[in-house]
Amino acid sequence: MSEMSAVIQVELPSGDELAIIRRRFGRGGPGVPRVAIVAGIRGDAPEGVRVAHQVAKVLEECEDRLTGVVDVYPCANPLGAHQGTRVWPFFDVDLNRRFPGKETGHQPDRVAHALFTDIRGAAQVIEIRGAREAFSEVIHAQVRERDTAAAELAMGANVSVVWARKPGPAATQTFAHQFPGTIVLEGGTGNRLNATVGQDLQEGVIHLLTQVGVLSEVDLPFHWAAMNRPTVVNDAQVFRVRAERSGLFLPEFGVWSEVEEGATLGHVIDSENGSILETISSPTRGRVMAVREHPVVYVGTMVARVVAL
Amino acid sequence: MSIIFSIDAPYRGQYELHRLTYGSGGPSVAIVAGLHGNELNGIHAVNMLNKMLRVQRPMGTVHLFPLVNTFGADQATKRWPYDDQDINHAFPGDPDGSVVQRIAHALFESTDAEVCIDVHSGAPHVREIPQVRAPMGGDELELARAMKLPVVWRRPGIRLEPTGLIGAWRAAGRKALHMVGGRGITLDNRHATTMANGLFNLLGHLGVCGQAATDMDIVADVTHADVEAHRASCGGFFVAEVRVGDPVQPGHLLGYIQAPVGGERLDEVRAGQPGIVMTVRAYPMVHAQELLVRVAGTP
Repeated sequence: MSEMSAVIQVELPSGDELAIIRRRFGRGGPGVPRVAIVAGIRGDAPEGVRVAHQVAKVLEECEDRLTGVVDVYPCANPLGAHQGTRVWPFFDVDLNRRFPGKETGHQPDRVAHALFTDIRGAAQVIEIRGAREAFSEVIHAQVRERDTAAAELAMGANVSVVWARKPGPAATQTFAHQFPGTIVLEGGTGNRLNATVGQDLQEGVIHLLTQVGVLSEVDLPFHWAAMNRPTVVNDAQVFRVRAERSGLFLPEFGVWSEVEEGATLGHVIDSENGSILETISSPTRGRVMAVREHPVVYVGTMVARVVAL
Repeated sequence: MSIIFSIDAPYRGQYELHRLTYGSGGPSVAIVAGLHGNELNGIHAVNMLNKMLRVQRPMGTVHLFPLVNTFGADQATKRWPYDDQDINHAFPGDPDGSVVQRIAHALFESTDAEVCIDVHSGAPHVREIPQVRAPMGGDELELARAMKLPVVWRRPGIRLEPTGLIGAWRAAGRKALHMVGGRGITLDNRHATTMANGLFNLLGHLGVCGQAATDMDIVADVTHADVEAHRASCGGFFVAEVRVGDPVQPGHLLGYIQAPVGGERLDEVRAGQPGIVMTVRAYPMVHAQELLVRVAGTP
């Protein structure tokens, strides 16, 4: 029987209490691998929360056959999820910039610290999240640059592409950076659910559990051969396409469309008279990884991400 | 006044980054305010300094940027409102990057001065005594003391990551200080005036202006170990019994936490050392562990 507990319980000024929930499946012990699955670090990416609950449902059905422990943290930022906001409300901070957190800090710092402490030592960490607000993303996995083991494992995550990323300036304070080998699964549309994306991510997470040895392939609710076969790409293959005029961006391609170099990705039109200010072209031959869904753009706003394949 | 950077904005007028420059040659000073759109005391302080400089003949160069995040100020938001990004996390910026990276780049490039000051208010839920706070020593500490604000706080760690303005300035070899006073969202005219005078004192110390503005003086010159931070023992409704600038002795009642419904007193907060109140919680609903009052120790 799975065990539900609060990683941390924080008190709100009004007297309410807020719990960060962990659902534990399987039995621990010496040498038994533990996998941590975390979702909802940002409140505007509900796809991850949905997938975490779906994965938990699958685990409930095969818990007695697990050969390791799976900890599911369905929502790390419940106040943000309540309001559909990226940040932790009131403190207005991005929880994904507060790790490893502080035991005696403010509320989001203490939550980050509690999560960090609880997850530390896991054999494998998986973060699931929807796309950021205003964007649609193809289902993809992100691993750290040069982490070939994580990249190889992520090949089994039912994603379209595995992106081996160089850590940016803020990476040291992100959740994923705290645990070497973390696989971040991302896809869908910011603040929206998409049934197909949710199903694909769920199957990807379940398949990863077989790859790390806590679940037998016999218990897969689908055939492993149905998994997507992704390509691993690095930063040099991923092109961020930015608007060079301010206005309204109207895309002409959807996510994962094939594009030729120079193909029109969309237009920026004048917000007042609708005239075309800029035609935005693909910098490479490849596929569209991400498309901006909210039309208002400034000069410099990313409107698409294209991966050279 | 010159416009050093602009971009078109959908549905509204252009964004323009304004710079006011006085004098020429060295020493050079750049003073920035309004990086956070809801921190109004810095904006007012720098505009007051601007008025002082109009009747001066500076012996050096002074660049003033009274309001960087105009769009945030329009909407009373700390961050750039379009994509909710903090400009103070985007330094040294990127001329080909996102809009906040471009603003950060333009600001960083145009503040190429020997001494750089970033002026802020406190967060919207706390009120701060006018102070200079940053890790500092040597010339920077001397400059901080020359402002003669009530508190000089050699605080470790604050905004020194290279993506913050102070960190980026220091990484580029500029002497950089962080000034804070009052509360976000509101205008504290008294504190803003003190901050403007502090900036003028600094210019006087550097020889840019002829005379110091006032007879202000430092009340507490402290390291992190000298600052007593009182945090909430529980969530509730905090009622402050002191204001920033109040002198206190050990045992002095600083405030209390009561139940938000019914008003039952849950805890009291008392000073543990003699000093001056430098920070007071202004928004009364508090979570456990949140900062309520800081007392800077005095001899």
